[in-house]
Amino acid sequence: MHAVVRLSLPYRSIFRTACALLVCGVAGCATPPPADDPDAVADFRQTNDPLEPTNRVFYKINDGLDTVIMKPVAQAYRYVVPHPVRTGIHNVLDNLGAPVRLTNDTLQGKPMRAGDTWMRFLINTTAGVGGIFDVAKSAGYPAHDTDFALTLANWDVPEGPFLFLPVIGPSSPRDASGFIVDQAIDPFTWIGQGTTPHTIGSWTRTVVGAVDERESLLDVIDQIKKTALDPYATFRSLYRQNRAAKLTTLRADNAATIPIWWPRGKAAAAADQTQNQTPR
Amino acid sequence: MLYRRRFLATGLGMAVSGLVFPRARAQAVERATGFMQQTGSQLTAIVNGAQGAADKRRAITLILEGTVDVDGIARFCLGRFWRIATPEQQKRFLAAFHEVLVTNISSKLGEYKGVKLTVQRGRQQDDEGIVTTVVERPNNPPTSVDWVVEKPATAPKIIDVIAEGTSLRLTQRQDYASYLTRNNNDVDALINAMKQQTANSQ
Repeated sequence: MHAVVRLSLPYRSIFRTACALLVCGVAGCATPPPADDPDAVADFRQTNDPLEPTNRVFYKINDGLDTVIMKPVAQAYRYVVPHPVRTGIHNVLDNLGAPVRLTNDTLQGKPMRAGDTWMRFLINTTAGVGGIFDVAKSAGYPAHDTDFALTLANWDVPEGPFLFLPVIGPSSPRDASGFIVDQAIDPFTWIGQGTTPHTIGSWTRTVVGAVDERESLLDVIDQIKKTALDPYATFRSLYRQNRAAKLTTLRADNAATIPIWWPRGKAAAAADQTQNQTPR
Repeated sequence: MLYRRRFLATGLGMAVSGLVFPRARAQAVERATGFMQQTGSQLTAIVNGAQGAADKRRAITLILEGTVDVDGIARFCLGRFWRIATPEQQKRFLAAFHEVLVTNISSKLGEYKGVKLTVQRGRQQDDEGIVTTVVERPNNPPTSVDWVVEKPATAPKIIDVIAEGTSLRLTQRQDYASYLTRNNNDVDALINAMKQQTANSQ
């Protein structure tokens, strides 16, 4: 479950967003609890949300936009487009993300993951007809998600305080910088830039990507809003935990790339099988 | 002489515990997985069963009381505010929490129709058993769910559910903490909000 709204946008909008945030960010800061209440102080530190008042404003704006635009669009998409077609669209979008993932797998020093990404891209682009069908999964190359923010985290760059960004949603300085770098290292950002097909292509990818993601989160977000007393705090908690869990999985994934027929390969592969979490 | 005996006794004790503990650990893990296997099949039987909503709610309540440490989870969720609360508030909070939990689960049953829960493996972490399962439901990608079981060897009870790395009780605790901080640490306000919520979703 990624109970997280992370919408991709072309990098130019991100830049604008970042500027807006810098201007507004200074507007409101959370008041720390009195120092004579150590439990409250510990809570405040643990929450690590010094910009909470500003973050809450953006949460409200996003929530409003979501209610009137994104949610109805996602509902319509679910209603009109049959499930197998939505899966196909999701797979194509996922396949387009392969170059960025491959770069990050490599920068993270995870040869097995990089190999998975590379093989998935080759197999799904050809046998999977441009990425529509995920045939690589059944061929033994499982999907995984990664990004430059996780690369930074793997390099021990600290997360920083919680941020709720306009349009993008829950984030942190590390995640937001990672997001910008991911746009920059994506070959599809640059190939044919300035031409009409590129403009149409990148906007289609952004819009369809946002709708696809929002559709997959329809039930989860509804459930959270229904059951949480403070949805903002719940989204913050879920986002943080989800990112931390991804980092833990990434760090634990040290699968060797020794061929299975190599004398030591079998034992290592067996050890990997028992050690590794199933959805890698 | 006395020293030697004590030394021998200690040595023997260490040897025995060295022999016994790994086995006790393995047994605890086995008990925890067996417990989850049983609880899982009970739960899926109710979810996929044909009885009406009211009957299902009753059945879920029964299973929860028997297999989940609801009071323990409730105390965890209230966190530092548990100590601020008066005994009377604590009592009302526990009652409201039981209601919230049952209502939340019951309201989700429809979505989980056709669910399949497969126990994969167990492991021990500190004093708790952690059982990894895969939850599959129609038209949804399979989800990895870890169940945290306390006292796995003697009196196993579920104390947390971790779905794709997010802990249910931790999320709930942070939700309550934020609500309380924004409402002058007033536990009564929290209890009322919880009651309001159950009333709305029934």
